[in-house]
This record gives sequence, structure tokens and C-alpha cells, in this order.
Amino acid sequence: MRLTLRLGGGFVLALIYGFILLPLVVVFASSLTAGELMQFPPQGLSLRWFARFFADQALMQALGLSLQVAAITTVIVTVIGTMAALAHRALNGWSKRWLRTGLLLPLLLPELLTSIGLLFFLYRIGLGKTLVGLQIAHAVVTLPFAFVSIVAALDQLDPALEDASNSLGASAWDTFRRVVLPLVRGGIVTGALFAFVTSFDMFTVSFLLKPIGGNTLPLALFDYLSYDYDPTAAAAAAVSVLLAIAGVVVIEKLVGLRNL
Amino acid sequence: MTEIRIAGLRKSFGGQPALVDVALDAAPGEMVTLLGPSGCGKTTTLRCVAGFLAPDGGDILVDGRSILDVPLRRRDFGVVFQNYALFPHMTAAENVAYGLRVRRIAAGEIARRVAASLEEVGLTGYGDRLPRTLSGGQQQRVALARALVIHPRLLLLDEPLANLDAQLRQEMRALIRAVQRRQGITAFYVTHDQAEAMASSDRVAVMERGRVAQFATPREIYQRPVSRYVAAFTGEASALAVTIRALGVPGRYTVALDDAQLEVSGAPGLRPGHRHFLMVRPQAVSFGASGLEGVVRDVAFFGATQQGEVALGDQRLRFVTDPNERVVAGETVHVRLDPAHAWLMPEAVA
Repeated sequence: MRLTLRLGGGFVLALIYGFILLPLVVVFASSLTAGELMQFPPQGLSLRWFARFFADQALMQALGLSLQVAAITTVIVTVIGTMAALAHRALNGWSKRWLRTGLLLPLLLPELLTSIGLLFFLYRIGLGKTLVGLQIAHAVVTLPFAFVSIVAALDQLDPALEDASNSLGASAWDTFRRVVLPLVRGGIVTGALFAFVTSFDMFTVSFLLKPIGGNTLPLALFDYLSYDYDPTAAAAAAVSVLLAIAGVVVIEKLVGLRNL
Repeated sequence: MTEIRIAGLRKSFGGQPALVDVALDAAPGEMVTLLGPSGCGKTTTLRCVAGFLAPDGGDILVDGRSILDVPLRRRDFGVVFQNYALFPHMTAAENVAYGLRVRRIAAGEIARRVAASLEEVGLTGYGDRLPRTLSGGQQQRVALARALVIHPRLLLLDEPLANLDAQLRQEMRALIRAVQRRQGITAFYVTHDQAEAMASSDRVAVMERGRVAQFATPREIYQRPVSRYVAAFTGEASALAVTIRALGVPGRYTVALDDAQLEVSGAPGLRPGHRHFLMVRPQAVSFGASGLEGVVRDVAFFGATQQGEVALGDQRLRFVTDPNERVVAGETVHVRLDPAHAWLMPEAVA
């Protein structure tokens, strides 16, 4: 009985991992092809499509813009998300519920709806089709991810620790810096990572709000695939995945994922 | 040396009164214990004093000055929490140093004071350990050192021994009392354990539903409780409904229990004809050839003692006797009460 359960569980896990990982493997593999077409299995091995990707001006600009927007989004969202999560911890009753619902709204609404709303709003305040407008939109849409992750970490924090810190004479800032921050660091880093990845991947919002003359990587790839079907796109996708993995590795080195 | 006085303290949570009218005080160097079951308001009172809660009304005076407007961090009170509340990411020494560090005290002095404080609680050599690698008792010692190292004006202890096993509890109780006495710190100690309260305090406040039911020395609380509630919370006790027949010298009464008459001590100011509860500790009961007639309901052997219950008419009386005395369930006995372990309480029979 037990063995059956374990085998069954293992099978389900294998399926889940298979569905998540197989597409990545396929894209990776096809990016390494020596042939002219994006296909699996690849025909021969070469890095020529990576060279092609890094030589493509439009895609490079898009990658740069995506990285820039994602980085700024991460900083904004991590700071605001942390402050919002602290406010959420301090509040009670209806104000707490409204704060939470309001911040999570972009997560609950279809991205298209949020985008259209933001489009109207940004035009109205004169930021339509500008980089600042796109930046604001990315922050709004990714904030819930950071907020949820930091709130979850704060929920694990024993309130008596803050009481102890305050009673020992610490200021609010000291309590935050010396007690709260070190203990919820994992949640904040996770939130930042979510924000970065979500922003880097964002399509719908960027599509409607992209600045004139600017393209993010997902949009540039979409454009590219409309005209060409060569493995450059696969190489670009592989680079995105490698960037994400690199991010996780760096964070692992910096704070240790086991603390998350 | 700090003196504290609490007057008319009130606090409600969502319309539910938690403190109705709490009045307490502690003289310099005194250890006052707040005793009561959960929900009686003892922890709420302590949290108001510490500054974690703002009372709805009343005042807390420290050395004659109200502290209600003093922010928590400026009160200079050392707090020891039930779950220790040690900072898990800091070593024992860093935990103890915390209150000094946020006061921007020089590193050399911090090191000296932390070492002295760890030594005082018997943890020399444990400074580099993280809390999770320490036992419960050791963690509580760190918490005590952390609270004391800042030279607090007041020491507040919230059920500090609740998470420890019986033997450690006794050891920690003695340590806390010794340190508190040595440093002459005024202290409030919250507990629901009557043995803890009796053994380690100068005065005990028994709390009942947001009020102080009685506030006196452990001896007085035990020997002269004001109500059945207080009597039951300070040890085993029976309460017999009796009628006052006559007054003797002040504090002495002749009371009637069924058709028997007894001479007892009691709270002053009770009036003849009224019915009150007579508190009788089990050790007040002895058996002889004459006295109140009762039937042994139940008796159990405990090794050092035997304990049981006698029915006097429709009232019940707990007793404890020498294990070799012959007491048999179902037999009729004559009960005598030692007046030193009985007390006529002001609580009237409804």
C-alpha cells in the first residue's frame, strides 16, 4: 500500500517535472542546432544562433531595455512591497483587508484589463507611451508578488521579538534593521526575484504600454517570430532562462536559498 | 530602587473588558506576583506596565510619575517573556548585548557587562551559541541576562517558567529570586502556578476577571483568603456555609454549622445572623471522639499522607491526615477543626 502510494507519488512528480522541464530542454536543444530551422532534435551542434542573437541590434536593445526595466521594477517593488507588508502587519480589521485586497487586485484581474486601465490612466497623466509609464505599469503589476512573499515571511515572525527589541530600548528603525529585516530577508529576496522574473517576462502590459521606439525582449521575440522562424528565437529564450538561473545562483551565494 | 503604583487600570478588547479596575503597587525592591487563571487580566496588566498595550483608563506611576506618556523604549523596563523571545539570528552574547548596543554604549563596556551578566546567570562559556542550540532552561537564562544587563528600573516576568519541566522550574525560580534580591530590582511576576507565586514573592495579587481579588503577602493570602476563589487558587480548601451567631473579640466569631457551634477567626466587620463561607484547609481537619459528626466519603493513600473527603450533612470537607491514622470510607467520624487553618471569609453565601 505504502509502496504503491510512493510509486504513484513519484510518477506524478515525474510528470510535473517533465511538463515543466521538457519544453526548456527542447528549446535549449533546438537553439544549439547547426541547421537553419528551429527543430527538435537539433541537426548537429553549434553556437551560431547565439552569435546571431548577440549580433542582432534590435534584440540586443530589447534585452537591454528588459533588463533595465526589470532591475528598476525590482528595486521599486521591493521597497514599496516591504513597506506595504509592514503596514499590513501593523493594521487591523477592515483597513488591513482593504490594503491587502487593493494591492492584490492586479493579481486577480486579467492582465489585459489592468493594461487597458493603465493605458487610459497613463495617457491622461501625460505618460502614455513613455518609458516612465511602462516602468510604473511594471511596478503595479509585479507589486503583489513581492507583497505576498514578504507578508508570508512577516507572518512567521513572532511579535514578541519586536516587543523584546522595543522594551530593550531600540527605536523603530533599530528594531526593523536589527531584528525584522534579518529574519524576513528570505521573503524579501524571494519577492524581489518574483518581481524581476515577472517583469522580465511580461508581455501584455508591455505590448500595450511600450514606449515609442522601445521594445522589451518578449515583444522583440514576438516580432522576430512573426517574420523569421530561425533558431535565433530559441537562442534568445535560452539566454533568458540562463539569466534567470544565474540570478538564482547569485542569490543562493548571497543569502542562501535554504533561508528562504 | 523603583516604586510603582497602578490605580484604576481599565482595558477592553473589542468591547470585552479585560481589566475592570486594577490597583496594585510595589515598594522598592519588592517582588509582586500576579496570580490567576488565563483570562483573569494578569498578562494584560503586565503588558500595560511594559508599554506593549495602552490602557483605556487609570494610571501607572513609577516613582510618583505617570509613565503612560513615556514610549516603550524609554521606560527602561526589563521584560522576560514566556517563550523567551530570543533573537534567533544572534548568539547568546549578542542577544544580551542588544539593549546596550541600541543605547550606543562603547564596545568595551558592552563586552564587560555582557560577560558579567552571563556569569550571573551561570552561562559563562555559552556566549557564542545560537539560541536554537541551547536548552529551554539555558534560553531562559539568556533572556533573564538580556533583561537585566540594561539595569532596568523594573523587571517584568511573564510566565517565565511555564515552558520548563518541574525540576528546572525550581532551579530557575531560585535563580530569578536570587538575582532580583541581589540587585534590589522591583519586579512584577505573572504566573498561574500558585506554588511559584507563594515561594518567590513578597506579595501576591490574586486576579479574577479583570480585578484584583486580593493583594497581600503569600501567608495572608493562604491563611486569610477573602473568597472561595482566592482560597481555591492558593491551595486545596473546603468552604463550609455557616451562620454567624455571636461576635467575640474583634475578628473572632461563634458560627453555627447545622446544629454545631464553632469558635473561629475571620475577617473583621462581619455581622451576626449573616451566612458566610468558612474556609477550611485540609490540614485543619482531625478526627477524635467528639466534634462534628460526618461520614467519610472517600479516602486515598498518597504515601506521606492520606487524603479524602468527609460529608457534614450536605456539605463536603477535604481532609489530610497521617497515613497511619485509621480512616475508612463509609464510617461515621467526629471531626475537629484547628482554628489556625480555618478562616471565616467575607464572601457571603448567596
